[in-house]
Amino acid sequence: MDCRAEDWGLRKIAWLGSMLLLCALSALLVSCERARGNGRSGHKLIILGIDGMDPQLLTRFMQEGKMPNFAALAAKGSFRQLTTSIPPQSPVAWSNLITGMNAGGHGIFDFIHRDPQTMELYFSASRVEPPKHSLHFGDWVIPLGSGSADQLRQGKAFWEVLDEHGVPNSVFRIPANFPPIKTKGYTLSGMGTPDLRGTYGTFSFYTDDATATAGAVEGGQIIPVELNNSQVSAKLIGPDNTFKKGSPPSTLPFTVSVDPLESVARIAVSDQEFVLKEGEWSDWVHVEFELMPLLGNVKGICRFYLKQAHPRFQLYVTPINIDPANPALPLSTPASYSRELSEDAGEFYTQGIAEDTKALSAGVFDDGEYLEQARTVLAEHRKIFDAEFPKFRQGVFFFYFSSLDLNSHMFWRLMDPHHPEYDASLAAHYGSAIEDFYIQIDQVLGEVLPKLDDQTTLLVLSDHGFAPYNRSFNLDTWLLNNGYIALKSGSSGDENEPFVNVDWRRTRAYGLGLNGLYLNLKGRERNGIVQPGAEADGLIKELKAKLLAIRDPKNNSPVITRVDVAREVYQGPYADQGPDMLVGYTRGYRAGWKTVLGAFPPEAFEDNSNPWSGDHCMDYTQVPGVLLSNHKIQADAPALTDIAPTIFAEFGITSPKGLTGHSVFQLERASR
Amino acid sequence: MFGSYKVKIEGELLEKVKRCSEIAGYASIDEFVTHVLEKEIKKIMPPEEGDSASAELVKKRLQGLGYIE
Repeated sequence: MDCRAEDWGLRKIAWLGSMLLLCALSALLVSCERARGNGRSGHKLIILGIDGMDPQLLTRFMQEGKMPNFAALAAKGSFRQLTTSIPPQSPVAWSNLITGMNAGGHGIFDFIHRDPQTMELYFSASRVEPPKHSLHFGDWVIPLGSGSADQLRQGKAFWEVLDEHGVPNSVFRIPANFPPIKTKGYTLSGMGTPDLRGTYGTFSFYTDDATATAGAVEGGQIIPVELNNSQVSAKLIGPDNTFKKGSPPSTLPFTVSVDPLESVARIAVSDQEFVLKEGEWSDWVHVEFELMPLLGNVKGICRFYLKQAHPRFQLYVTPINIDPANPALPLSTPASYSRELSEDAGEFYTQGIAEDTKALSAGVFDDGEYLEQARTVLAEHRKIFDAEFPKFRQGVFFFYFSSLDLNSHMFWRLMDPHHPEYDASLAAHYGSAIEDFYIQIDQVLGEVLPKLDDQTTLLVLSDHGFAPYNRSFNLDTWLLNNGYIALKSGSSGDENEPFVNVDWRRTRAYGLGLNGLYLNLKGRERNGIVQPGAEADGLIKELKAKLLAIRDPKNNSPVITRVDVAREVYQGPYADQGPDMLVGYTRGYRAGWKTVLGAFPPEAFEDNSNPWSGDHCMDYTQVPGVLLSNHKIQADAPALTDIAPTIFAEFGITSPKGLTGHSVFQLERASR
Repeated sequence: MFGSYKVKIEGELLEKVKRCSEIAGYASIDEFVTHVLEKEIKKIMPPEEGDSASAELVKKRLQGLGYIE
């Protein structure tokens, strides 16, 4: 045998072997890369986001056999409390979940933020602005450019990261995503989406009752009308018309013919006519407001509710919602998706908080009427869920439900005999309202459980729990009484308006929002007087000690059980932009209604007599949320900031830098 | 809308921008640059008190959230 040939032959075999090995390795690398890029092929993650689901109530209803699907999930998988955000408010909490960062990273610290230079207050998650520049012709104003809708949440949303790695995703109604950020997946905006007037919900109530106070009420408007020959002529109120000098609200006339004998009325608006019986709701009605003849029209939808035909005429109209089929502002990605949804599932409330709690608080709705409206909202959400969930094949499917949160706010007083507004006769009718909504959410879970397979992970979670809200603490009144806020000489604090007569050159700290306490810091606030550094630190220490020592004069109970210092609990580029301290009220207490926007009610303490009787804007350790899964949750103390890393880990994606949490399915790190 | 404008950042400055953006924990370079510009603009052109929407209007907008009266 020719050795050289043999050598060559051996070398050839070795070379071929090497090539085959290389090919195999390359194929392996490519397949690994693909796995990293597209996630686990065929893997599915379903997330049900249940705003306000409380672990204590859930446990009770499961034990009572009222939530069999949740009980089955908890028994076969896992059920844990989920540490909420600081503070435990929905926009903050959902932003923690969305970005995997705390408020220092995403910049949402409260429902309400302020500009420290102007003290302008605004909703923290989004801002809708009219055009800033315009041309004037007589009574007409021609805007140069259109207005803007800006999302104020910072950081990268988990679905943006999924997009980057080719993982398909659909995200429905998640809060703090208006206008929806650009994405390859399907999204529909939720909490933070305004109505057509740019507010977060303004209802109209038309009545000929002379005793009703006309004008603006909280979250609505009472509009007096006259009944002439059984006819009412009135106007729907649309968005402010920025084409006209002074931007008066646009209007759309409608008429109501009230049957003189029967309790029915015929309503005519534009080219539509319909008859309502007393106590009956219309379907969604399409309306169009003309802003400038032939040029500028804006479309919306609303529903009518004939509360009473006789003896007094009472007609409620929902806030004018952005029409999902013709959205005046962006509601979805792709932009056409809201139209497709409305074709598949019917029209629906597009405003972020659809349950009209203010109509109940203002006495326009009674409990039964509010409950019916709230049930309609959940029915609409379930219709969208039923239309979209069966289409889910791969990647991530997130769906948000608001009902437990809003209805726990409104019906806690009828579930809890210790609440000051508890009414036994009303409780007999509506005492199980919260429980009924929990049962409906259990039914939703019942639709999901049969679809789970080896390839599917399910997370059911809430952003926070719930607690009674019996007493209000007016933080700004307390700060005023204790010399931290000073008023201009000879003036008094305003009971209703934000920071009226405050002498900022002598004010050291102020409260704003539901948990925020700010120093009037030199160099940050326009007229700041507190020097950053030792002086600020000393003031924080002093305030913290005093706040924790407060006792309610009514019962000598502690009021504030926790005060967090922002720089100790927030990390990230926006950490210095929010409150300096977070006030954590104990269960039963919350920031008072007027102090939230910087007004000064006369007393530091008040009973909460509002139907809004449950809340969660408290000490975050007292209102945890829930986390359930069909898989074993390894983390003993999972937090909202762990959810984005969990989502990424499910698809083999390394978490972006700046995220401190980790997958709840991994054992907790000792260093945590 | 107000349109958009692209700015070219390159060389050493780009490297520093990338590093600062990461160190400070911004989600992207775009987010970092926008935030820095916003802060600088506020220093040079502080907003006038009259620029802000009226307190009444803001209150009306916010009441629909449910948490305020």
